[in-house]
Amino acid sequence: MIEPIFVIFLLLFPLAAILGYLGAGSALTRKFVPYLLLVLLLSGLGFSAIAFVKGNALNLHYASHLPFATGFAVDRLTAFFLMVICAIAFPATLFSISYTEPHSRGYCRWYWCLLPLFIFSMVLVIVSSTVFVFMAGWELMTLLSGGLIAIEGASEDRRRGLFIYLAMMHFGAAAVFGAFLLFVPGAPSLTFEAIRATGHGLPPQVRTAIFLLAFAGFGAKAGIIPLHLWLPKAHPIAPSPVSALMSGVMLKTAVYGFVRFSFDFLAAPAPWWGYLALAAGAVSGVLGVLYALGEHDLKRLLAYHSVENIGIIYLGLGTSLVFLSHNAPIWATLALVAALLHTLNHALFKGLLFLGAGAIHHSTHTLDMEELGGLSRRMPMVSATFLVGCCAIAGLPLFNGFVSEWLTFRGFVAGAVFDGGSNELILPLMAGVLGLIGGLAAACFVKAYGISFLGRPHTPRAEQAYDAPRAMKLAVSLLAAACIVTGIFPGIVLRPLLALVGTIISGASAPPEITMISRGMPVISACVLGVIFLTFAVLRWKQIRRMVPTWACGLPELTPRMQYAAASFSKPIRQVFRSVYKPDRKVEVLPVDRPYFPEAISYHSVRTTSFERSLYRPAVDLLISAARGLRRLHTGNIQAYLLYIFFMLFSLLLYLRFSQ
Amino acid sequence: MRLAVNVAQLLILVLAAPALRGIIAKFKAHIQRRQGASIFRPYADVLKLFRKEDLAPPTASPIFRIAPVVVFATAVIAAAFIPVLSASSLLAARTDFFIFVYVLALGRFFISLGALDGGSSFGGMGASREALVSVLAEAPLLLALTSLAMLSKSLSLAEITRWTAGQNFFDLSPVHLLAFAALGIVAVAETGRLPVDNPTTQLELTMLHEAMVLEYSGPSLALIEWAQAIKLHVISALMIAMFLPWGLSTILTAGSLALALLLYCGKLLLLAGAIAVIESSLAKLRMYAVPDFLRVASALAILAVIFTVFIRK
Repeated sequence: MIEPIFVIFLLLFPLAAILGYLGAGSALTRKFVPYLLLVLLLSGLGFSAIAFVKGNALNLHYASHLPFATGFAVDRLTAFFLMVICAIAFPATLFSISYTEPHSRGYCRWYWCLLPLFIFSMVLVIVSSTVFVFMAGWELMTLLSGGLIAIEGASEDRRRGLFIYLAMMHFGAAAVFGAFLLFVPGAPSLTFEAIRATGHGLPPQVRTAIFLLAFAGFGAKAGIIPLHLWLPKAHPIAPSPVSALMSGVMLKTAVYGFVRFSFDFLAAPAPWWGYLALAAGAVSGVLGVLYALGEHDLKRLLAYHSVENIGIIYLGLGTSLVFLSHNAPIWATLALVAALLHTLNHALFKGLLFLGAGAIHHSTHTLDMEELGGLSRRMPMVSATFLVGCCAIAGLPLFNGFVSEWLTFRGFVAGAVFDGGSNELILPLMAGVLGLIGGLAAACFVKAYGISFLGRPHTPRAEQAYDAPRAMKLAVSLLAAACIVTGIFPGIVLRPLLALVGTIISGASAPPEITMISRGMPVISACVLGVIFLTFAVLRWKQIRRMVPTWACGLPELTPRMQYAAASFSKPIRQVFRSVYKPDRKVEVLPVDRPYFPEAISYHSVRTTSFERSLYRPAVDLLISAARGLRRLHTGNIQAYLLYIFFMLFSLLLYLRFSQ
Repeated sequence: MRLAVNVAQLLILVLAAPALRGIIAKFKAHIQRRQGASIFRPYADVLKLFRKEDLAPPTASPIFRIAPVVVFATAVIAAAFIPVLSASSLLAARTDFFIFVYVLALGRFFISLGALDGGSSFGGMGASREALVSVLAEAPLLLALTSLAMLSKSLSLAEITRWTAGQNFFDLSPVHLLAFAALGIVAVAETGRLPVDNPTTQLELTMLHEAMVLEYSGPSLALIEWAQAIKLHVISALMIAMFLPWGLSTILTAGSLALALLLYCGKLLLLAGAIAVIESSLAKLRMYAVPDFLRVASALAILAVIFTVFIRK
């Protein structure tokens, strides 16, 4: 009974896309498609939540009816990721209704055509049970998100960003495809079942190659440093709801792929796999948040924070792999639960923050934090929900980000503290890395929230900001509510997650941390909130409160230019970590011969990350020079081409002769 | 009985906090050959502020009003983690030091936002510097406590205290020394004392915490001051519980509790004296020398974790 409904569910996405394209003309259909999509996502959310909690499996095979071994399967892991997709896509779609309103008809037509297809492609990746469907979804996901970026405009800068995005995604897709192909000699067919069965029996060097390819391929999609280059370029130029989807959900398909490969297909990991993931996670986490601190564009800042949070997820995954290879399944379970929970949490709060940024852009037409300020009085609802997102991403207690960071931390120290004898040192030291990431993230979001929402408006634009439309406010409040509920009652997600991880890592008893935090968080939250309310009650806070201007040290009054800006706020931290940023600064004082009495000073600073300079530039140069070399072969002379063909044939024949 | 003791511990940490400030000020006055104010002066200050009018700058949003309350609440909740008289506390059973550290971080997050809400440059200056200090202090704090947890095989603050109290003082390992040094540095940074921050002035050059609260007045300021005092007391009590827990009451009789309280007061006085001597003999560090100071703490804490390998049986 459920199977045909599921197929209809899948098919309705393309239908919505077609309707979206055709119906952009009339008001009726224009409203219809978003609502169809919303209903679709809501039912998907319900279905996946039930499958996630109850563990109903679903397996559809159309290998005999359809070409290319088409098949879908839903297990607990799939259901979890499907739930993440629907949970973020629902508010993003809701947000889009208001987002597309001021745009032209042509824009709406493409937007409402591509958006359902983009969501559909991500669903395909997750529910696929064959290589064909997975790779088709994977490629579609890249291309469709690229299309959604392209409809927003086509200036030089945007095309450049889009090109880097597509190039890196294709590098990743090639690596993932290579990883699949390495299974082929042993696997009877290209279904996941067959791959799973062959995974264990492969020789170690092939397993290593598969792992490395999968690590690089999914790492490129996830934005692991140094493969993160596309994130801060593609996210800011995408429409805000699409940024929310890309950061909140699309990156998570890479996490899904990595979990599938390393825990499911390959299983029994080698010890260094975990350490590789840990190193990638630590580097991405620390550098990601440091780069974010240097950014003053709200969306680019959030994009770098995606790198950071993917880093935290990889820290959890790496810990889990390390414990698996050390044969400690209970702590492997704990760390994997932490990583998956952070996947969900990051989707929720990052979706919330990107949508919040979208709402700001909608009403002020800028995302430069130096031009904002004082928005909390203009946009109270967006401001309050954005604050929830900031607290959650900074990993503060009472919000969901804290729970997964706590579990990650317990994963680090659990082995060292509770398992006497194991002289594992890397993991406890990672607690310090997590602390550093947490501190930096908190500082960064004090900056992001404080500079954009508090104080005085820096520019007239911010002063004239109007409140966001209702659909936008509803979208962000849904996500904020989810952040708070899962932050105070993490048990509702943790229990099914534990069952999920039980299907991946067998033979483990439940780690005590899960019940501890499920029961502990409500108590601590109640205590904190209780003291807050008690203080308010005792002080009877409604008392007279006079507004007096701040003392301006004798000047007539304070101006917005006197307050701290984003650049000045992060200056001390950038100063201390300057070896990471390495900015190119140019200060020109005119006239040159009188440096102390200048008439004009121009200051110019470019921040290219050191990766661009020392890794990508040489790689691209090498590629281009190799292509130049190859071009010499192309003489344009048909005889020469015939000669090449002849040589090729000859060498193949030689190979055949001597290889047997 | 245990519950009553735990509540008493919380009350001691919260209510005696201003007195600790007063005692340190008194000690410092004596070192400077002054008579100094009464040790109960901080109580009078807080009470006075509670009776005063609450002023707010015109740019203030609700955050400005909520921040002091959140800071106070997190300080009180943090106090509920610390064992004082016996090796237990209200929240210790279900929690660990990670939660303790992050509860304090919640308060810091909100006070920084409150500072930025004032719209003047001083608030931003304080918030920005506080962010730098806390960024660098969090990692050594977690690592130092992790090293102790690895030795005592428990992550709960109360259990670590119980384990340490069961050891012979002269058997304590170099890990404890390293962790003590690291935690000491972090404690100075966290509580905003010299040489990282000067709690007694509001000079522009020394501004960290005092700059953040410059726009606050009346009851809001009273809450912040009290919270700051609680934080100082909590961190001091944490140091005592981690490194000098001997004499805790184990059987929870009136006599043993009285003895534990007496010993605790003695240790606290010792610590207050140490703080007074350090603060009287050191000048405040230049802002960009503070990161180096905290890097020393990080190095010590990393060493502490590494050394646990050689200690554990």
